[in-house]
Amino acid sequence: MSEQEYYVPNGTYWPIIGSIGIATLFIGFANQMHGVSWGGSVMALGFAITVFMMFGWFGQVVNESTNGIYNKQVDRSFRWGMSWFIFSEVMFFAAFFGALFYARALSVPWLGGADNNIFTPDLWNAFSASWHQMAFLAPGTELQSGTLMSFPEVPATGIETATPAMVVDPWGLPALNTALLLASGVTLTFAHHALRAGHRNQIVGWLVATIALGAAFLGFQIMEYGHAYQDGLKLTSGIYGSTFYMLTGFHGFHVTVGVIMLTVILYRVQKGHFNADNHFGFEGVAWYWHFVDVVWLGLFVFVYWL
Amino acid sequence: MTEVVIVIIIIAILVALGFGLIGMVKGGKAGSDKMFKSLATRVSLSVLLFLLVLFAGYMGWIEPNVVMVDAPVAQAPVQK
Repeated sequence: MSEQEYYVPNGTYWPIIGSIGIATLFIGFANQMHGVSWGGSVMALGFAITVFMMFGWFGQVVNESTNGIYNKQVDRSFRWGMSWFIFSEVMFFAAFFGALFYARALSVPWLGGADNNIFTPDLWNAFSASWHQMAFLAPGTELQSGTLMSFPEVPATGIETATPAMVVDPWGLPALNTALLLASGVTLTFAHHALRAGHRNQIVGWLVATIALGAAFLGFQIMEYGHAYQDGLKLTSGIYGSTFYMLTGFHGFHVTVGVIMLTVILYRVQKGHFNADNHFGFEGVAWYWHFVDVVWLGLFVFVYWL
Repeated sequence: MTEVVIVIIIIAILVALGFGLIGMVKGGKAGSDKMFKSLATRVSLSVLLFLLVLFAGYMGWIEPNVVMVDAPVAQAPVQK
């Protein structure tokens, strides 16, 4: 195909199948949330249709690519498409990090009476602003959590308080998980190098290592959630709990998607879809993985340390 | 001071990641080279940052955010 022409595919049914799949998924989800009996099964059906669409549609694109139908213009449009997707991802995480910084540096101190504006120390007299304050207790409330060891009285306010239980220790699983994810960034870089040098066996080895490290990260993250949840840190545990789970939860979801994408790339490498000069599929997924890695690094530093 | 260094390295990591993206969008041999070099830089900086954070924490230059539940409302949360 010449450089001047742009490849336009024949009429295709995949977009409408995708629409039906996603609509079914959300109708099921909404009804599931309302406790309707068929919600879960409709959701599963919608999910299955969506996955079917992805296999079909993406498979078709891969076939067109390996059949040499695409020219440089199509290549450019893929690259720009990926960059807009990345832009939306960056803004997505920027919003959640923004919420974290805003709550921690501005709104929580304001509620505690800091600064000026309409916020005054009398907003609620038993409230003392602290970033990790999980419980918001009315005076005289007795704490029920199983993690509590004692209930010393604080004479000034008469509020029943407790010895706090440590939930998230940055030296434990978070540090291990950071090491795992960073190592996966290193192995992926080796795979990238091997691909550019044309060493297929090495690519496969490093990709398998990357996928294994990503999967291990997910396993430990599930463990960490289990600990945190049992110890009382929940999505409802104030602004800290909300931002903690929104950020780490969506990050974990992205790692899951990344592991799936890397697995597809591994399959495509074995099929010989890429060569040293032409491997945009690999590049897109590699950049995505590096991005997800950097998001975690930001989480590790700002949530657990600074 | 340690915090400032940490934030500077994070910004450098984001810049390297950004250059990687520019390389990816550009494509071709030059773009591919730029992307690979930028991403390799970002990995190296990340490992450096991780080691720095752990070392600074070990030395006591920075304090971890230890998370407490049911922290007393009328007194400051107890650090580790």
